[in-house]
Amino acid sequence: MNILIVEDSPELAIEVKDFLSASGYVCKIAKDCATALDEISSNDFDVVLLDLGLPDGNGFEVLTAIRKTQSKTAVIIITARGELDDRINGLQLGADDYLTKPFALTELGARLFAIIRRMHGFTVNDLKVHGFTLQLQDYKVSFEEDPINLTKKEFDIFQYLVLNKNRVITRLQLTEHIWGDILEVNSDSNFIDVHVRNLRKKLEKHAPISWFETVRNVGYRINV
Amino acid sequence: MKIKHQLAIFNALTRLLVILVLWLMLPVLIEKVVFKHINKGLIEKKQKFIEHIDKEEINDFIVRKDSSETYASFSTLHNEFLQLSRLPHALGKSKTEFITEPRIIEEEENDYRILQYQFDYENEGYQLEIGSSLSEIQDLTFTIRFFILIVLVIIVVVTFLMDTAYIDYLLKPFYKIIDTKIRRVNEPDTFDHTPINSHSADFQELDTVLNQMMDRISGLFKKEKQFIANVSHELLTPIALLKNKFENLLQNESLNDSAVDKIASSLKTLDMLKKVISNLLLISRIENHQYEANEIIDFKLLVTDLAQDLEDRIEAKNLKFHNQLKEDFHFKGNATLLHILLYNLLVNAIKFNKENGSITLSDSFQNQSYCLFVSDTGIGMNEMQLQKIFKRFTRINEEKEGHGLGLAIVESIAVFHHITIEVSSVTNEGTTFLLRFPNHRKAN
Repeated sequence: MNILIVEDSPELAIEVKDFLSASGYVCKIAKDCATALDEISSNDFDVVLLDLGLPDGNGFEVLTAIRKTQSKTAVIIITARGELDDRINGLQLGADDYLTKPFALTELGARLFAIIRRMHGFTVNDLKVHGFTLQLQDYKVSFEEDPINLTKKEFDIFQYLVLNKNRVITRLQLTEHIWGDILEVNSDSNFIDVHVRNLRKKLEKHAPISWFETVRNVGYRINV
Repeated sequence: MKIKHQLAIFNALTRLLVILVLWLMLPVLIEKVVFKHINKGLIEKKQKFIEHIDKEEINDFIVRKDSSETYASFSTLHNEFLQLSRLPHALGKSKTEFITEPRIIEEEENDYRILQYQFDYENEGYQLEIGSSLSEIQDLTFTIRFFILIVLVIIVVVTFLMDTAYIDYLLKPFYKIIDTKIRRVNEPDTFDHTPINSHSADFQELDTVLNQMMDRISGLFKKEKQFIANVSHELLTPIALLKNKFENLLQNESLNDSAVDKIASSLKTLDMLKKVISNLLLISRIENHQYEANEIIDFKLLVTDLAQDLEDRIEAKNLKFHNQLKEDFHFKGNATLLHILLYNLLVNAIKFNKENGSITLSDSFQNQSYCLFVSDTGIGMNEMQLQKIFKRFTRINEEKEGHGLGLAIVESIAVFHHITIEVSSVTNEGTTFLLRFPNHRKAN
């Protein structure tokens, strides 16, 4: 899986690259429009992460170039709020997804997973963890053929933690994943905990879940 | 009062003053002219009389009457008279004088202009008086004054109307400038640069200066937009970097609890920072009209969506959510912004509510404008607090987390859509926000 990271801040680009490399992706970095266009014309990429605010021009030029030559390449636009008029615009321009800065790397991972799944015609349909199976197609979870009844939110939380297994996921990350990029400060409200508690109760009925860890004051982690 | 009326009234008043002075001076002027004319006539008559006179005739004049030694003769209508009388002694030289005096002729008193001519004839002094009646003249003066008064009044009225019309014509470009260049301009982009036709250099100058000012404002406006985009990028990129670094740091198994706590709290602060920046950017983008308002919004649907989004929080406080929207109302605006507006109001209604309280959404048409009410049974606010809730960074309740921008955003979104907000609140009983929508957008 080849990914091109188009980002003018080298530190952020390296941070993203490290994260994605650890998940098994092969990454290249382009720091401006010119380099990005060079890379695109010489290599095939599965996914391009595209920052719109580039020093030598607008990221949209890169997007247009990609759409002209490599129709199969998925593009995730990464931008600071304010550079685009709104979310819909980004998607209308032919991007596959849209992330606003600052984003969580794990969120980027989840979006990538969804895009790659779509690109491969939904062949990856199940995620398995400690005997539990997540059926991504129809949002169902089962334990050794035994169906477990989860709400949409519980399923989303479970899937997010499984996708980012062995990583501590903060409550903020989970909140943003479930409710989106809300603009109001509500870090005091741990609604996410209620859903996690319910999720764990439902899972515990079938098997011990010591691998589903609560990280004190921070969030949760699923160990595999 | 408009300048055209002020000018016209001032002109009329000065004209009236001049006319009044003229009118008051008229009798004096007329008297002078008339007297001059009469005097001339009297002198001519005297000349005629003196030319023909001789001793006999004088005697004849005086004797024919009686012994009073006075001769008098007058015309039938008493408008002229002539009188010759002998003076007690000779004068040595002759003397002419004009006087105005009342005289009684055959028991009728009239004012007369009289020429008195004293002269010597054969060592005897005589006085000749020739008089001309003034009563006709007085009648004439009165008629002239009346006539002139009418003419002057007509002149004042006519010039007043002409003044008003002309000033109106002169000021037309001024009102046009106000209307097209100032009143109808909401944002610099829509400014009309076509010069306004005017014959007055002043208004041409005003127009030019306004155009220049607008160009400067548009320049600043563009700069601000650019600035907002730059701030977004330049501030949010390092935040993204820090956030990712901290999140990666958390994965380190060797961290002790206090380090984890510190990282977690740094992440919270970072999140707060991100949200404050995003919210400030949101406000300035709304105020810069960087949003379109061309979507049709169905409030019933919007509220259903929001209730689902906020379900957890409503349940967490065991609140009752009453959705009592019943009117069929569609509004043309920006869906994202109106979503944020209602979201912020509802979040506040939840945040400041009491356990087991309720939130009620209702609507009605008042004076043909759609009104949406968001009421809660929360802690409420007092007068002082109510006055500053829409100010940026104002936090009414220090215990609750927040950045104090929620209602500031509500206000700018409302202003953007021409929605007026009214708030009423009773401490410890609850708060009601009323959104009054502009009625011209009703159901289109």
